[in-house]
Amino acid sequence: MMEKENLSLAALVGAGFIAAQSILGALGGGKLLKPPGAVSDEDFISRCISCGKCVLACPYGSILTATVADGRAAGTPYIDPRRKACRLCVDFPCIEVCPTGALSSVDKPSDVRMGTAVIDERICAAYSKGHRCEVCYRVCPLINEAISVEFRDRPGDDIHMIFAPIVNEEKCVGCGICVERCVVSLPETAVTIVPR
Amino acid sequence: MEFSRRQFVKTSAAAMAGAAAVGTLGALVGCDDENGGGGGGGGTTKDGVTSVTVCRYCGVGCGVLVTTVDGVITETVGDPDNESTLGALCVKGMHLASLLYCDGRLTTPLIRDDSSTKGTDGGLREATWEEALDLAAGKLRDTWKNDKSRLAFWASGQMPICEGYILSKFWKAGMLSNNIDPNARLCMASAVVAFMNVFQTDEPANCYNDLDLADVFVTWGANMYEAHPVLYSRLEARKNHGAGVKHYDITTLGTQTSKSADKVLIMTPGSDNAIANAIANYIVVNELYDQAYIDDHLVFKTGTENLGNNYDDTYDGSDIGRAVGAVTPCTFDVYKERLAPYTLEYAAELSSVSAADIEELAKVYADKNTKVLSLWTMGVNQHNRGVWMNHNIYNIHLILGKYALPGCGAFSLTGQPTACGTAREVGTFAHRLPADLVVNNPQHRRFTEAVWDLPKGYLDDELDDDDEPIPGTGIATPGKHTIRIFQDISKGNMDFLWSACNNWAVSLPNLTRYLGKGDQKGIYDTFIVVNECYPTLSTKYADVVFPVAMWVEREGAFGNAERRTLVFEQAVEPPGEAMWDLWVYLQMAVRVLEGEKIDGKDAFDVLFGFIWDKEAGDFVGSQREVNQRIWDEYLIFTNPGLKKAASDIDLDVDELFGTKNDEGVYTPSKLKMYSKQMAPYEVYLNSHGLTWPVREVNGEWLSTKWRFCDGKQEDGFDEEGIKMYGKDGKAGVGGISYYKSAGLKPSVVFRPWEPPAFMPDEQYPFWFVTGRLLEQWHTGTNTALIPALNNTLPDSYLYMNPGDFDAMDLKEGDEVVVTSHYGTVTVKATKQQRVECPPGVCFGTFFEESRLINLVVQEIYDPISKEPDYKKTTVSIVKK
Repeated sequence: MMEKENLSLAALVGAGFIAAQSILGALGGGKLLKPPGAVSDEDFISRCISCGKCVLACPYGSILTATVADGRAAGTPYIDPRRKACRLCVDFPCIEVCPTGALSSVDKPSDVRMGTAVIDERICAAYSKGHRCEVCYRVCPLINEAISVEFRDRPGDDIHMIFAPIVNEEKCVGCGICVERCVVSLPETAVTIVPR
Repeated sequence: MEFSRRQFVKTSAAAMAGAAAVGTLGALVGCDDENGGGGGGGGTTKDGVTSVTVCRYCGVGCGVLVTTVDGVITETVGDPDNESTLGALCVKGMHLASLLYCDGRLTTPLIRDDSSTKGTDGGLREATWEEALDLAAGKLRDTWKNDKSRLAFWASGQMPICEGYILSKFWKAGMLSNNIDPNARLCMASAVVAFMNVFQTDEPANCYNDLDLADVFVTWGANMYEAHPVLYSRLEARKNHGAGVKHYDITTLGTQTSKSADKVLIMTPGSDNAIANAIANYIVVNELYDQAYIDDHLVFKTGTENLGNNYDDTYDGSDIGRAVGAVTPCTFDVYKERLAPYTLEYAAELSSVSAADIEELAKVYADKNTKVLSLWTMGVNQHNRGVWMNHNIYNIHLILGKYALPGCGAFSLTGQPTACGTAREVGTFAHRLPADLVVNNPQHRRFTEAVWDLPKGYLDDELDDDDEPIPGTGIATPGKHTIRIFQDISKGNMDFLWSACNNWAVSLPNLTRYLGKGDQKGIYDTFIVVNECYPTLSTKYADVVFPVAMWVEREGAFGNAERRTLVFEQAVEPPGEAMWDLWVYLQMAVRVLEGEKIDGKDAFDVLFGFIWDKEAGDFVGSQREVNQRIWDEYLIFTNPGLKKAASDIDLDVDELFGTKNDEGVYTPSKLKMYSKQMAPYEVYLNSHGLTWPVREVNGEWLSTKWRFCDGKQEDGFDEEGIKMYGKDGKAGVGGISYYKSAGLKPSVVFRPWEPPAFMPDEQYPFWFVTGRLLEQWHTGTNTALIPALNNTLPDSYLYMNPGDFDAMDLKEGDEVVVTSHYGTVTVKATKQQRVECPPGVCFGTFFEESRLINLVVQEIYDPISKEPDYKKTTVSIVKK
């Protein structure tokens, strides 16, 4: 595992790698991560008119447009968190410009429900190797709420701990910044967002 | 154990290199499955060569195994056999494999023909080594011959030990210049001065094992979670495994270290000396101190007070500036009297920490059944009264008899991988020589001359017609400290600067001044030489850039925070024309010292002939052999018996340095150079690092973990040292002997609270604290280059209190203009709670060259240590 990871790290320098990962991320089990405020799946597909206004409104370029490869979702907006996660703007310009209510208003960033982060403990550097990584925890805009750290024993080592990042499913909004920043790239990241 | 292919490859290579009779670290890496069970060593290695190395980042010194295939690093994993860290790494260490292969590596010497292009992206052209060396050496030699007060080297706590040693010898013996100072001046100088003042030895008495044993941890101005990640994991392990183990965090802002502490005491910046004195006063008033220990082990002193601050460049030369280091003996009673004003209430008033919390902490310290370990770093050291705060922590521990014991003590943590090993141990400071010796002590100079084969008195200042020494002619007078060097550069008072293993153009305070952005433009006129691996902001100001090897592209040794010396092997060759720094130093020395004589002999050959063949223009042997030879010479400093001339001065055989009493009885002045005994090079090559002093017992070289504490040497106690230097060869009360201290007694020096140089006011209402965060190391010249690592923290931010942030109507990532008395900078603001700033306090990191926060950082320094205070600049913040 370790060797594979390190070989891939050397290769990661190539941008192609990130691109490949982006496509995988976008496919994400077939379900796309939609922008904040997106109404339920069926409702969203019927309401979204693929006008692209939210794509243009996003100040970070986080919102992309789905392609024909995404089937019914083609033309609708989505976020590939590995490429660029949602920055949870307080004024939600993407929702603001949506003419149809496909993206409906949200009071504050912590009310967003795009999805939930899930950590794969088998490949996470903190869990699997006991390394002091837990980057996902520190970059979380809802640090100590959506992701916190629990101390666990490090197998075979009494004098160090695993700093285990724990996702609180109730609090996690699914912005995906943890995915964008994850150091594991096999090409799967150790943390992914399961869209709502 | 099978003799695997990589061991064969490694041992064969070593044999071919002619490294006779030395072990090979690679062979120490055991069978292929050993990493599996060690709890984190990581995966197995396939074909290839594995080298035992150490991480190049912080002072923790995590062991790293490097695997190379066909001359390229394919894998780095934690070294499970490194006793300091057992294979654990942080996210920076996980990415070491990529470090050497980032874009933009410097592989050719560069020259700047037009100094007006300094600070821009252009202006450097490629050159041959010959041209670059001739140019740089010519400038250095001209400056040296013209006025050697106008040259300087800025060295580093990231420079391997043997390189620092030779560099220091070149400067101090070759050019008789003390104008060499390390970047450790910016991080450990306050700790160093206090070590010398209190113990007369520059070292922590404790070790990492203490983190496995303490009952209470007290962190003072230390964000270990971010700055010492793997050591913090060790602290957490103790807290999680030990019953009732507590952690108190004293800090000016909430950090991730605070997050897991049991109690957090948020204090007003600069008030720590008041809190520490209130704790000491509580101990004294309630008679909780250990009188027997005090009688046996301690002396009391007071020192110069009302120091003021260096608001301008005249401070060092002023009356108070010259008197700052003075101390006077006093009694315990006087110490008690001086503490008396520091009631819990007074400290609470100054610090905003409640009297009840200070009292609770005082009781915890004083509890006779509790092992307390105080830990601190830059919050204490980068402080306008940093030396004093170091003193005040020792004072608490010493009067309680709670120092140098397993699990109990005061542990100053280093910030760089070899701040202890190189900057301090081999003496790359303006006032130091190797092994704790100082330039202004004649016996120390004699000893150094003996080791270096110099004529007696060679290092002394020349005498004028009245037989008075002329300062600066020899090295009896300390040289310019770091801030003085850069102040003089800015004023046009320097002609030559050379730096290696650092990035002063980002790390210095008050860059507005030093980078010539104000009215002082001296940086454009000073000829600047930089040894570097990748382009930095410093290379943008360089007239000559020497491309050099980095990390495991050469063999070297680092010394970490717990006195562990670890030799790391060369794993790969440097790219292109990049060369080993040592090669560059010697190529420069051979040019600068051309035609110079020492006692009628060729000066270069006297100093460096043992490692460099002038005729051949190259090293005398392999890199291993050169390191071995340098180590053999350095070894004499801590093993004076290896050379009679040195030993005679160590023991004061000729009765030159001691004192005679009224009856004419002579007491010799003994240097006790074995105090910091190092082992022969091959011992390190056969280990994963050893903590000094290393003692030979029954043919085996054994580490010392607990300094001055009696017990069996094989268990890590200081048995051999106490036998050699303790009173009658024995320990005193508490099983302790402070054998390096004058009279075997450390000094408790009363150090008061004095205010910061600036307090927030209407114009500059915020405290601005700077520091590091886990993912990016220092100025980012390494970590920011590795895409996967940089991606974890690509932007530096100004962390603000949410109330302050909202009051300015800011949104996440909005740009703000930060302005101080010294300069202005635009940064992005956040209220994300990774750093929890109290109202009126903000925090920023210094890793991002494009957001140069040190443009605003004050150049106020501790008047004694000359270490800048990066923690208390007062600023205004305005939305852009």
